[in-house]
Amino acid sequence: MIRGQAPTDPGQALAAALTAEYAAIFAYGPIGVRLTDAARRDARAAEAAHRARRDALVLQLSAGGGQVPADRAGYALPYPVTDRASALRLAVEIEERTAAFWRAALPVTTGADRTRALNALTDCAVRATRWRRTAGVSPVTVAFPGRPA
Amino acid sequence: MLRAGALLTAGGTTLPLTGCDLFDRAEPTPPPDPLEPLAGESRELAARHRAAVAADPGLADRLTPIADAHAAHAEEIQRLIGRPAPSGSPAPSATGPAADRDGLLAGLREAEQRGRESAAKACVAAPGERAAVLGSIAAARVTHVEVLR
Repeated sequence: MIRGQAPTDPGQALAAALTAEYAAIFAYGPIGVRLTDAARRDARAAEAAHRARRDALVLQLSAGGGQVPADRAGYALPYPVTDRASALRLAVEIEERTAAFWRAALPVTTGADRTRALNALTDCAVRATRWRRTAGVSPVTVAFPGRPA
Repeated sequence: MLRAGALLTAGGTTLPLTGCDLFDRAEPTPPPDPLEPLAGESRELAARHRAAVAADPGLADRLTPIADAHAAHAEEIQRLIGRPAPSGSPAPSATGPAADRDGLLAGLREAEQRGRESAAKACVAAPGERAAVLGSIAAARVTHVEVLR
């Protein structure tokens, strides 16, 4: 898992969020294959949502003339995804982790950029909540989504 | 002169001052912080969830963690403000006629949705050092809506 320093400017924060989105998209591959039915559809929808954020970030960072970090061929998962339980656990972690990167973008952005970061943080938090419910984890919410533990 | 005297008299009748009030400048009342209403809203949301649990104890598992989260939000906002909540707890919002479970949950959902709007506005308007906490609070309120469905 990547745990960087707190970003100090918007470009840095959005580049970090982009790397988190790459990793989330990667993780939903192994997650999806361990799920069935509604949960698998949810995984596909979550992956699509992360792809949409990725695409928007790549466009925004390119247009701004900033550094656009490249995707990598693979990302280290914190543990092997071998069954439904580990898939759901990783899905929760991926969403909370991605939420943390978007949350870190809030202090260094303003206006529309901050609103976008807030929307992304919120979407991750809602998906984390849904995955906890699917996994039967209680409580399904956390008090401060995206706040590093 | 006559005019000034009349004003002074009017002031004297509406604001009875003691000698102490006139001369004691040691503790001027600080201006209200723009986050005070949001802290009050968190306390009110916590109270509403606790009232719903009191009315329908079967909801305790779902609503108690949410009430706790709102209480934690209120504390965190007061920490940002830099002083404790004004003494005298806010008037609890009208509970209205006893509602059935669906009615209780619908009322809470609506309150959380309104709360999301105010927290999101506060997040976007806030200086950077407050934005992350406010963003987490806005996101948390959306996850509450999810739990209340």
